[in-house]
Amino acid sequence: MAEHKPLHRKPAQTLGEALSERGISRRSFLKFASYTASIMALPPAAASAMAEGLAAARRQSVIWLSFQECTGCTESITRAKAPSIEDLIFDFISLDYHHTLQNASGHLAELAREQAMEENKGEYLVIVDGSVPLKDDGVYSTIAGMTNLQMLEDTVRDAKAVISVGSCAAFGGIPGANPNPTGAVAIDRIVTDKPVINLPGCPPIPEVMTGTVAYLLSFAGIPELDHLGRPKAFFGEAIHDRCYRRPFYEKGLFAKRFDDEGARQGWCLYEVGCKGPVTYNACATLKWNGGVSFPIQSGHGCLGCSEPGFWDLGGFYRPLSTGKDDVLKYAAGAAVAGAAIGAASAYAVRSKRKKLMGNTSQPVATPSEKEAK
Amino acid sequence: MSGAPCREERPTGMAHSVLAEIGRLLEGLAETGASGAIDLRSLPLTEADRAHLSELLGPGEVTAELDVGGRSTVRETAFAGVWWICHRGAGDKVASEEIAVCPVPGILVSHDADIAAAARRMRQTLDESIPGQAEAL
Repeated sequence: MAEHKPLHRKPAQTLGEALSERGISRRSFLKFASYTASIMALPPAAASAMAEGLAAARRQSVIWLSFQECTGCTESITRAKAPSIEDLIFDFISLDYHHTLQNASGHLAELAREQAMEENKGEYLVIVDGSVPLKDDGVYSTIAGMTNLQMLEDTVRDAKAVISVGSCAAFGGIPGANPNPTGAVAIDRIVTDKPVINLPGCPPIPEVMTGTVAYLLSFAGIPELDHLGRPKAFFGEAIHDRCYRRPFYEKGLFAKRFDDEGARQGWCLYEVGCKGPVTYNACATLKWNGGVSFPIQSGHGCLGCSEPGFWDLGGFYRPLSTGKDDVLKYAAGAAVAGAAIGAASAYAVRSKRKKLMGNTSQPVATPSEKEAK
Repeated sequence: MSGAPCREERPTGMAHSVLAEIGRLLEGLAETGASGAIDLRSLPLTEADRAHLSELLGPGEVTAELDVGGRSTVRETAFAGVWWICHRGAGDKVASEEIAVCPVPGILVSHDADIAAAARRMRQTLDESIPGQAEAL
């Protein structure tokens, strides 16, 4: 086989230097930081520190692995309407491997992944969307002759941290839904020796993904996480807490059907199955499509897509009050406090999560571990 | 379809609460020089509340428009040292909005790194337009 030239150069310049050459001023960093601090509910004063941190950082190597997924998470993060300050995040990272977006294919694509790992040993970030099938030695999803499990274990070996984007990577998601025919599991069932940040959602809100990466770059640390490994900045409050229809809930005014007078008046959707009270996400504040709307504003109840096992919660149109025991369990779990700042929190959340989740939460004996036994 | 009513039109009285907080920050700036800021997007303000707050603060002497990855406006209010900053992003939608209480908002100040880069560009421009001129600097 012909020898290939390295596809990557180790980034030497800081982001401030590199972007200055392209005419992007420090004002852009400050504006981006103001925007990010705002969406992450950081104090406005943090914006200056964030801007300085970003300007001094090196371009972050990112390896994006896609396993059992629908590519909706990638669609979400790339859905920018026009070049703008929000898109600056794409100048801050070097997306060294993403088999849907990269030009290279076949063995050159895999070479790109291996080189990024070699050149950024201990420094690269792994983003994963999709769950990993473990049943029947993981044959249900393979890439370049490797099972998803093999590729994940190989890639995270020298990673700095892992971000699980989407509910499939974070909790098993739809592939893990009952009866879970492929034995799909979440990423943090397999990766237990690195910080893993969960950004669930089906798909996750783009700003949740970009804001988390910007935080990692700026402060060289992990944002405060909840008991399910989710950044509290985005998942700290229930949809219901920030819902503009909440006053109707307090007054006991509910839509009973999607075509009744209550629905037309914009009353609370609790009785037509809204999962907002037990769903933690930022949809009601950040909204979707550039802040245009979110499901409840468009007249449909929240599906609870950022919570574990949302697909199996007993029906999207069944009120929580008539739901399964599981719903009550999640509701109770959601009230459990438990987070710490820093990498340790990413490890600590796992033990709490195991107590809250069902069959996808059992400690995983991976095929390689089985062999070792 | 316009969606369900958001009741964005009604003032809630929040403007007075925010004004009181701005007042405390301004006292601090006057006495100790300490700057402060309030993120307006983090508060449950209706459009009517925003308009009311804007009216209470009034227009000042300085308004600056910036073109930095989208439009931004920096407006001093009738209270010196109280600035209303609005950053816009994709589709000219508001990306962040804050009240800064400080002598000059940081985004108006040229950064040292940008000034150094500008000096290098100026030298190059002089070299290209008037050969030898850059060495005389």
